Amino acid sequence: MSKKYWQSLEQYHEEPDIDQHKSESKQKNDLMELMGDEALQKKSSRRNFLKFCGFTVSSAAIASSCENPVKKAIPFLNRPAEMTPGEADFYASTFFDGNEFCSILVKNRDGRPIKIEGNDLSPFTKGGTTANVQSSILSLYDSGGRYKQPMKEDKRSSWKQVDPEIKDKLEAIKEKDGEIVLLTSSIISPTAKQSIADFRKYYPSAKHVTYDAVSQTGMLRANKRSFNKQVIPSYHFDQADVIVSFGADFLGTWISPAEFTLQYSKNRKLNAGKDTMSQHIQFEAGMSLTGSNADRRIPIKPSEEGIQLANLYNIIARKMGETSFNVPSARINMKNVAAKLMNNRGRSLVVSGSNDVNIQVLVNAINQLLGNYGKTIDLSRPVYIKQGIDSEMRDLVNRMNQGKVEALIMHNVNPAYDYPDAGEFSKGLNKVDLTIHMGHAKNETSKKATYVCPDNHYLESWGDALPKEGFYSLQQPLIRKLYTTRQWQESLLKWAGKSINYLDYLKKHWETNIYPNKAGLESFSSWWNKTLQKGVLDTGKDNGQPDYTTRGLRQAANSIKKSNNKGFELVFYESVALRDGKQANNPWLQELPDPIAKISWDNFAAIPVQWGEEKGLKNGDIIKVDGIELPVFLQPGQAKGTIAVAYGYGRSETGKVADGVGKNVFAHIPFQSGIRYNTKPGVEVSVTGKHMELALSQTHHSMEGRDIVRETTLDEYKKDHAAGNHAHEEFVKHHKESLYKKQEFPGHHWGLIVDLNSCIGCSNCMVACQAENNVPVVGKEQVKNRRIMHWIRVDRYFSGDTEDTGTHHQPVMCQHCDNAPCENVCPVAATMHSDEGLNQMAYNRCIGTKYCINNCPYKVRRFNWYRYVTNNEFDYNMNDEVGLMALNPDVTVRERGVVEKCTFCVQRIQEKKLQAKKEGRPLKDGDVQPACVQSCPAKALTFGDLNDPDSEVSKLVKDKRNYGLLEQLHTLPSVNYLTKVRNKPEELEEV
Amino acid sequence: MFKPMYKNFTHYSQTAIIILAVIFSVSNLKASEKKHGDAPYTGHQIDRGQRLFYGLAVFESGKHNCQSCHYTQVPKEVNWNPSAVDLADKALKTKDYNLKKVMDNPSSKVMRKAHEKIKITEEEAELLKAYFYKVEQKGLEPSKPFPKNLLIFLTTGILMALAIIDLLFTHKIRFKAIPVLILLISLAFHIKVIANEAIMLSRTPGYQPDQPIKFSHKVHAGQNNIDCEYCHSSVNDSKVAGIPSNQLCMNCHNVVREGSRTGKFEIAKIHEAVNNNKPIEWIKVHNLPDHVFFSHAQHVNAGKVECQTCHGEVEEMHMVRQVKDLSMGWCINCHRDTKVQFLENDYYSTYHSLRKALETGKKDSITVEDIGGENCMKCHY
Repeated sequence: MSKKYWQSLEQYHEEPDIDQHKSESKQKNDLMELMGDEALQKKSSRRNFLKFCGFTVSSAAIASSCENPVKKAIPFLNRPAEMTPGEADFYASTFFDGNEFCSILVKNRDGRPIKIEGNDLSPFTKGGTTANVQSSILSLYDSGGRYKQPMKEDKRSSWKQVDPEIKDKLEAIKEKDGEIVLLTSSIISPTAKQSIADFRKYYPSAKHVTYDAVSQTGMLRANKRSFNKQVIPSYHFDQADVIVSFGADFLGTWISPAEFTLQYSKNRKLNAGKDTMSQHIQFEAGMSLTGSNADRRIPIKPSEEGIQLANLYNIIARKMGETSFNVPSARINMKNVAAKLMNNRGRSLVVSGSNDVNIQVLVNAINQLLGNYGKTIDLSRPVYIKQGIDSEMRDLVNRMNQGKVEALIMHNVNPAYDYPDAGEFSKGLNKVDLTIHMGHAKNETSKKATYVCPDNHYLESWGDALPKEGFYSLQQPLIRKLYTTRQWQESLLKWAGKSINYLDYLKKHWETNIYPNKAGLESFSSWWNKTLQKGVLDTGKDNGQPDYTTRGLRQAANSIKKSNNKGFELVFYESVALRDGKQANNPWLQELPDPIAKISWDNFAAIPVQWGEEKGLKNGDIIKVDGIELPVFLQPGQAKGTIAVAYGYGRSETGKVADGVGKNVFAHIPFQSGIRYNTKPGVEVSVTGKHMELALSQTHHSMEGRDIVRETTLDEYKKDHAAGNHAHEEFVKHHKESLYKKQEFPGHHWGLIVDLNSCIGCSNCMVACQAENNVPVVGKEQVKNRRIMHWIRVDRYFSGDTEDTGTHHQPVMCQHCDNAPCENVCPVAATMHSDEGLNQMAYNRCIGTKYCINNCPYKVRRFNWYRYVTNNEFDYNMNDEVGLMALNPDVTVRERGVVEKCTFCVQRIQEKKLQAKKEGRPLKDGDVQPACVQSCPAKALTFGDLNDPDSEVSKLVKDKRNYGLLEQLHTLPSVNYLTKVRNKPEELEEV
Repeated sequence: MFKPMYKNFTHYSQTAIIILAVIFSVSNLKASEKKHGDAPYTGHQIDRGQRLFYGLAVFESGKHNCQSCHYTQVPKEVNWNPSAVDLADKALKTKDYNLKKVMDNPSSKVMRKAHEKIKITEEEAELLKAYFYKVEQKGLEPSKPFPKNLLIFLTTGILMALAIIDLLFTHKIRFKAIPVLILLISLAFHIKVIANEAIMLSRTPGYQPDQPIKFSHKVHAGQNNIDCEYCHSSVNDSKVAGIPSNQLCMNCHNVVREGSRTGKFEIAKIHEAVNNNKPIEWIKVHNLPDHVFFSHAQHVNAGKVECQTCHGEVEEMHMVRQVKDLSMGWCINCHRDTKVQFLENDYYSTYHSLRKALETGKKDSITVEDIGGENCMKCHY
């Protein structure tokens, strides 16, 4: 292959991987650690050896001479009719954390939720989820991070005590007409809004302020100007043939990533003879997940964004005979982009992630000229996921500091951590008489509140959601409340003098407002039950397309100026794992490597490679950016003169997992003219000379110089569907003979196809797998030691040069080779092939020689270096009695000293096979879906029976794009990949 | 063939563990010291109560041995009478329990018959209650089997030592063949015991624990012909057969409140459980290690295996006993021999090659082994 792929800069420069050597020597040391300090110091003699032997053997003997324990079987007193012990049930519910929405199915086994899947009835996600959604199950069982009862002044209290006190205080404030403020994150639940309205009816002086830690104020206000509607539109990336994004990470974090991922990949699939796909051009500073998937990615500074957009507008406007404006000339010529967009009017989409109203007004104008409204952008069905207006929060903080606010009731907000001037907020908080926090978990703000009235976890709550107009999603509890908590809506209503059950309240709201009360229709209760079972309801209601006005356009164009700022431009972004930090205390998310940098357990400063090399910086060297000391990551593709840092880290009061991990950067974001900006120009940067080792999960997975990711362009593909994949033909031609006996599969032969053209590298599969298969969290130190346990990893390769960088994602799990190299080196036959093509791993047979790991060309096997369960050294979810409740009881929890790896979710295969046998029918294609396949938001993974000629996988295997990883080794993997095809546009020239 | 020995497996040499473990388990070290609580009775009262209960002291109405029916040792066979601990539980945990009154007004036929000539005074009732405190603390005494194996093991050990001493030093026995023979026989015996114990480690065939209620499968499933699935109703749907909920017992025992053997005492426990909202804690008889996945639905529903194949003739058992050793070898042997419902169940219609083999007469039947019944990941994942 002519293209050069590289995974780390050392590889790019062909330097030896320094970290690799270091970690090897470290591993040796760790082996000695296992024996204890004494053993290292003493000279080993025969006598010591015998002592050790004697001790080991006798202690083991004492341990095992115990009698067999008496086990009890405790039945139900009265078994609920709908549940079968030992069998899982699925209930539809809704995930919304104030940042991201997803309709979900929750697997409930013997009364406790253990796994979250996407709800395939949802028309917008079709069963997809994101890593955040998958992980949220752990926050239910976060016994350290959750409040267990109401608190008063940080001391344990009870509802009996706090309720009357709060009620009295509120009544007193009501009496003197004092200001009561209800501060929440965006609320998309119509019934919750109703409860707020009821609360405000009782307390007429109460106000409701919405506050989003990462807001969309810019877009909301821009739409107010252009359409007189302060809303976020629905986007249809699947309808767009040309997508131009300016810093909007719509696949990773922007508005509704799971939905957009599905749309985006839909128009990029090349199956079944389809040979058209969308073209995606991304202008951005830091390498985002979206940028890494773009057909062309152009690094620009944030300050250039407005200029590029204004120029793009001018070119289009001139061609269409509309007014153009006098704006500074752009560095990148937008002529080609404009032409492309003009050729696809009504089938194109321009989006921007900026929070600047003027930029969003320009984006609106461009989309209007292109005729995209009503086609790829739908304002008739607005999205309600983000409603916060930054200036309202600023006003509130001002009023608090002026002593005007008498009571502050907070729900799901954490301004003491994520408000840019957190000190000011905290000061203001002290001046408020009555402060109540109603979050389900501890945070920096709840610690400062007088009363904490803990909310239920969302999996313990009733609720509903209206994420976009006309689309409802219902939420139902999956478990009895674990602690003495109460749903926040119930608390509000209680203080407003209504002691009601929230379920009744919810049903009443639905009966009066949402139930289509037409004659001849079924009764409400029957309709309600059916809707609840489905979890989603799409009424299709829309508000009509509003009219466009050019109001504010001239002002917007005039505001675009060339930046004269010296110094660096700092870009703040939400990381795919931690987002705005609400779920920071979640060990799965902390350990999930960043999809691009592959760093876990830290935020870091992504710096341009060229600058870093000039300064002699290496990954992990600490620089001071705007006063924050951060380790650097030399990020290929990072725009010159910019540095990118993630939000969500540096928590201090949320729990043992997140506290003290990374740095909080919210304090550094500029707050100007009532808007929080996600970029900061003119930042001072200095090198400190300090160094810390980053928890990188990537470089040790390097696959040196082989055609691992096969890639071609759309033009090539149209000419020849096997473009970029001719090596596969060669392979098929030459590998006819084998020393191995040909495997026979009498029943099923399971196979998995990964469509690299659909995979965006979002890492949802990694967490889904972790949740399904009880994969332990190993912590920062062990990640550094290259001992991360994920059964599926997403490899990321860079190509091109360090500025115009191409990025390639590739999920790699056990390939279940038919000629498996691992199997024949195992001295105890702990790993062997099944009659269904699975590469089996018998943990109780494994003695931990690790020969299989050594012999696996894909490096997908994981070794349990330690005991990760109930071990204080690994103080995460598995070292907690409550946390253990999230374990999947159908999957063994592995002990120290054994090897583990992907099983194709054999427990799911067995379950579905049994179901088919019970029903006396053959398995249908698609019945069996491993955890990664089920929740993939891009539908990039397909699983099925290769023995069934009609199955989806059998068809894909015959696709000309199909190839096996390192197939020249003739391992005959059951996991196959489809080549990546990029719809490369022509080069954009610099002016 | 590999045999699963441990729930937790370690680095250490397994053989070493097994050998040492066996020596320890043979010596059967188990000491259970239970504290005596602070009963509101003097030691003297408790002692007198105990003497009465054991029939060592005379009641006013004559000499009665309570302990002969109300046993104080873990029973090996079913004993329908309430144990001493049962009585103690009842007497101490029931509010305003009056032992004399209860004795004077027997609740059931069985009780009336057994206690016909037994009358106690208030004072004696109080003394018995004092003894009950002790029983409650102590629980049933474990019945210790005579350590025959251990004795032979130790004796042969001593013999071996003597034989070696004689061979090397004392030379008292003229014919060297004798000590050598003793040595060899003893060694063989030792090896046999160790091997047996090692194989049986964590296996419990014959396990027959005393249950909290003297529920007899023989009475229910045998004599009354109640179908197994009536109580173990999830056997066709789930991995577990299911222990019936209390409510299910009540379906019959709402009406049936007195048994011919146990009177009202045992059945009353069901009602108590309902009233106290406390489920009955049964002792699990058939235990598999955690790393084994076993599904009842797979075997009973899909495989059409009879319950008795694995559980033995439960309908003949008063106390359920583990009949099979539930070892992996036993599982695998069954998988090798058992034929699957290959033609009857449409699920197998996609197994074309096996179908062909059957049609062409290459195979006369399809066993579990043929469809992957020996694959590790059928049971271990």
